[in-house]
Amino acid sequence: MIISEKLCNDITVISIKGTIDAKTAPELKKFDSASAADSPVVIDLSDVDFLDSSGLGALVGIARIKRDHGGNVTLACMNNKVRKVFEITQVYKLFDIYDDVEAATLNAVKK
Amino acid sequence: MTTMMTLPADIRYVRLASLAALKIAEIFTECINSKTGNEDFCHAFELAVSEAFTNSVLHAEPCEIEKTITISYCSNSHNLTTTVSDTNPPFAIVTPSLNISSYPEQGYGLFMIHQLMDTVSYTREDGFNRISMTKQYHMKEGNNP
Repeated sequence: MIISEKLCNDITVISIKGTIDAKTAPELKKFDSASAADSPVVIDLSDVDFLDSSGLGALVGIARIKRDHGGNVTLACMNNKVRKVFEITQVYKLFDIYDDVEAATLNAVKK
Repeated sequence: MTTMMTLPADIRYVRLASLAALKIAEIFTECINSKTGNEDFCHAFELAVSEAFTNSVLHAEPCEIEKTITISYCSNSHNLTTTVSDTNPPFAIVTPSLNISSYPEQGYGLFMIHQLMDTVSYTREDGFNRISMTKQYHMKEGNNP
């Protein structure tokens, strides 16, 4: 799994590439974003080829920490396999989800 | 068809286990369907085996002897069953429920297995925990051989 970070429309976009499972999820949990704790973050999932419950838990954990500090996490570019995991667990209800990063960052700015 | 795979009870092998499940499910669907495998059906096995393997690793007690996890597959003309076996201590399997409003970081695995599979059973036999997961392959219109 590769995690990278960039700015888009003044919003921090974290891009994840590869598999997020029990082996790699701890790395995601520990990722130290350069963004302020209370600022919004967009997570680009377009290059995630597989996500299981461990990966889902890591994303929920990041969202909870952001929420506790007054920030929020928006998700973008889920493929069908990733979307399926969010649907069967209903975790999609915890996130704003967009089909592309541009829309996600524009929405995150408004919040 | 019966296929068996034994791996160390080590989380480093979880992706190997799930990718093997994906491939076996793809081959199964191609055998009975003669076309490219059904993506949802195959993904269900990829996910379910990832979850069951992870649970086995997490529940393994440290010991001097290297523990293993065995994943077997058997099929008939319309079902594929995978069984994940380990020698961990026995555990009580409970019907999982989720309350996502509390932003839980754990507890999704077994819930997902039940959502993905048609039948999930747990047995304790001869010192082995065995979780068997079966899913029926539904022929879609236009997918018939």
